Amino acid sequence: MNAAVRARGLVKSFGRTRALDGLDLTVKTGEVHGFLGPNGAGKTTTIRILLGQMRADGGEVALLGGDPWQDATDLHRRLAYVPGDVNLWPSLTGGEVIDLLGRARGGLDPKRRAELLERFELDPRKKCRTYSKGNRQKVALVAAFASDVELLILDEPTSGLDPLMEATFNECVLREKRDGRTVLLSSHILSEVETLCDRVSIVRAGRTVESGSLADLRHLTRTSVTAELIGSAPGLAALPGVHDLSVDGARLRCQVDGDALTAVLAELARAGVRTLTTRPPTLEELFLRHYEGAAR
Amino acid sequence: MTGTLTGTGTLIRLILRRDRVLLPVWIAITALLPASIASATTGLYPTQAARDSFAAASAANPAQLAMRGPIYDASVGGLTAWTLGSSLALIGGLVSILLVIRHTRAEEETGRRELLASGVIGRHAPLAAALTVVLAANLLHGLLSVPALVAGGLPAGSSLLFGLSTSAGGWAFAAVAAVTGQLTASSGTARGIAIAVGGLLFALRSLADTGGVGWLAWLTPFGWVRLTRPYAGDQWWVLGLIAVFAAALVAAAFALSTRRDVAGGLIPSRPGPAEGTLPGAFGLAARLHCGTLAGFAIGFGALGALLGVAARGLHTQLDTPQFRELAATLGGADARLSDVFFTFVMYVLSQLVAGAALVSALRARAEEAAGRAELLLSTPVGRLRWALSHLVFAVMSPVLLLTVLGAVAGLTFNGDVARVAGATLAYLPAVWTVAGIATLLVGLLPRLAAAVSWTALGLFLVVDLLAEFKLATGIILDLSPFVHVPAMLLGGAASPAAPLLGLTVVAVTLTAAGLAFLRRRDLMPSA
Repeated sequence: MNAAVRARGLVKSFGRTRALDGLDLTVKTGEVHGFLGPNGAGKTTTIRILLGQMRADGGEVALLGGDPWQDATDLHRRLAYVPGDVNLWPSLTGGEVIDLLGRARGGLDPKRRAELLERFELDPRKKCRTYSKGNRQKVALVAAFASDVELLILDEPTSGLDPLMEATFNECVLREKRDGRTVLLSSHILSEVETLCDRVSIVRAGRTVESGSLADLRHLTRTSVTAELIGSAPGLAALPGVHDLSVDGARLRCQVDGDALTAVLAELARAGVRTLTTRPPTLEELFLRHYEGAAR
Repeated sequence: MTGTLTGTGTLIRLILRRDRVLLPVWIAITALLPASIASATTGLYPTQAARDSFAAASAANPAQLAMRGPIYDASVGGLTAWTLGSSLALIGGLVSILLVIRHTRAEEETGRRELLASGVIGRHAPLAAALTVVLAANLLHGLLSVPALVAGGLPAGSSLLFGLSTSAGGWAFAAVAAVTGQLTASSGTARGIAIAVGGLLFALRSLADTGGVGWLAWLTPFGWVRLTRPYAGDQWWVLGLIAVFAAALVAAAFALSTRRDVAGGLIPSRPGPAEGTLPGAFGLAARLHCGTLAGFAIGFGALGALLGVAARGLHTQLDTPQFRELAATLGGADARLSDVFFTFVMYVLSQLVAGAALVSALRARAEEAAGRAELLLSTPVGRLRWALSHLVFAVMSPVLLLTVLGAVAGLTFNGDVARVAGATLAYLPAVWTVAGIATLLVGLLPRLAAAVSWTALGLFLVVDLLAEFKLATGIILDLSPFVHVPAMLLGGAASPAAPLLGLTVVAVTLTAAGLAFLRRRDLMPSA
């Protein structure tokens, strides 16, 4: 058993809306897994099913080797969760909430707690009523990172944090990874996923559209080519696998499918190359490709 | 200064949109009640002689005096004004408090106000918009009640005064809520303070009419709404007192609001402990429930003291033939006056205790809707343990409140604590049944649970009112759990086991079913 999360063909409907439509997700033990998709793609619904707060209408799901609905209480001893929209008890202080959640999860490391409070610059004596969204998120993050658990489920955890705190958050996630913990990180912030994650799953409209390591996904996608030519390359437009070609005098830009790169480079070499830049697509570009598909 | 009201119109439309069901329903019901009570009065007491004898009996009944005050005139109009004057002020006051807080402090607490305030919304606009809607809605139900009263043959001028008097109760408490909404950052506390003020002012009026200190009624809006004396001398100028009271409080609220920050309160929020010692779900539930529960206990204790003192004077003040007759019909020839009094009053007050139990029973759903349950349930706290942590308070809070109410009443009456408290505690299974209905709904129809539970309790109260006017009998009456509770002080103690056991079984069944449904369903945060 080396998968922390294994979901196959998850289906969940709310009335007529089909929130999940055959979603697959596999998170290997010890990896940081990015769960990418725009708002409404089904990320939070999937997480609620993993937490046993909702039951899937169809499909199979296993969490840490158990059934997330049947074995919820036992499984929850081994995980910590940070919701996307953290709602806390207005009359309790941040410190009280951290300890409440920590105790419920079987105790937390006081040294680590103090260290995290300092790093996130959170005042634990304030009532939750007075916290901003970012500060409420920090309360849940401190409680999660200070707990001794195998799996962290983080639902868009940085949406209220400023850039400095995002850096702190990234360090914390990398430390969890070093300690051998598994992290499921849902996000629509691509740079975050790029720096932190070993593998990603991209979801759209309740389905997984891509899943694999970043290297795998890039292999599937186009490379962005920018070149300054000496001669001209008239044959380029006719090559299969060349997209969005634009020529501006000697400058040329295009997107190239992975398996067409050799032919394209040969064509460019024939024309003579002064400068050449090739760049792997950013996740933005990956995203655009998938969601353009959805719009069509 | 002109800028501080910018955007009021937009906010009024927002409020009307959010309350597009609640407002019309409340206005319609409140506007229809006066004419239906007037016609019921005509039907039940067609002759002046019948009305006179009813009035004499009611005037001799301290429970009626405490709830409704004196009857100024035994005409159809006069009796209608007496029946509804106090209750409509109570209902209008409560609805107005809830609405004003909902659209002012609650908006700030959830941060939605911040979102709006960053647009073109003046500092005073939210309060001005909430007050405009609530004051207008109160005026509307008052005015709408007039045509039907006039059509039923009552004088137009007095009917208008009566309509406006029913509006005035709402105005007074909308203004009270406008002030309490400025004091603290918590909408729950603001609501609680306003309701406590309302309770005190009502108690003051009750004391005025039962304790022989009539002038006290001039110090409270609950007195003023009766002292306009519609159909009994029409004292229009008393409306002016209410207007001045409301205007002064509204002015104070606006003045206070300029002296604080958005989302802040005048009473600052103090820092608390940096470390927590809450031992899990039950500890958390205790923290969440105890403040409210302590407030309720103090309130019911004060009510009990008031009743005990009022009951003391009964034998000397109210030993009239009419009341003796009433006592004899209810409890047999040798029934003690005080027992009849306590039986009456506890029947009504037990339904208030049921309201307190509903607050506890619906707490789990409130936690779920606010998204707080989601976080707690992601820890090893199971669904059932979480639900039970709140249910314990729905079960135990009526035990505490009924005991306090009965014990304090018995203590201040004649020291016979056990007897009065015992009779009060007989309502426990009925109150549990109401809490059971709420628990069932939380499991089955979570999104509607609060609305349906409160409506059910409201219907039980209406059944009482209808029963009193003999408009409901048999099956309809049987629907209310409170009807089945034996009157322990009036001979019901002989065989109380069957009905009490029956109600307890119903309550346990409802609760168990609710928990079973809750365990099987998805968690449904309102977002």
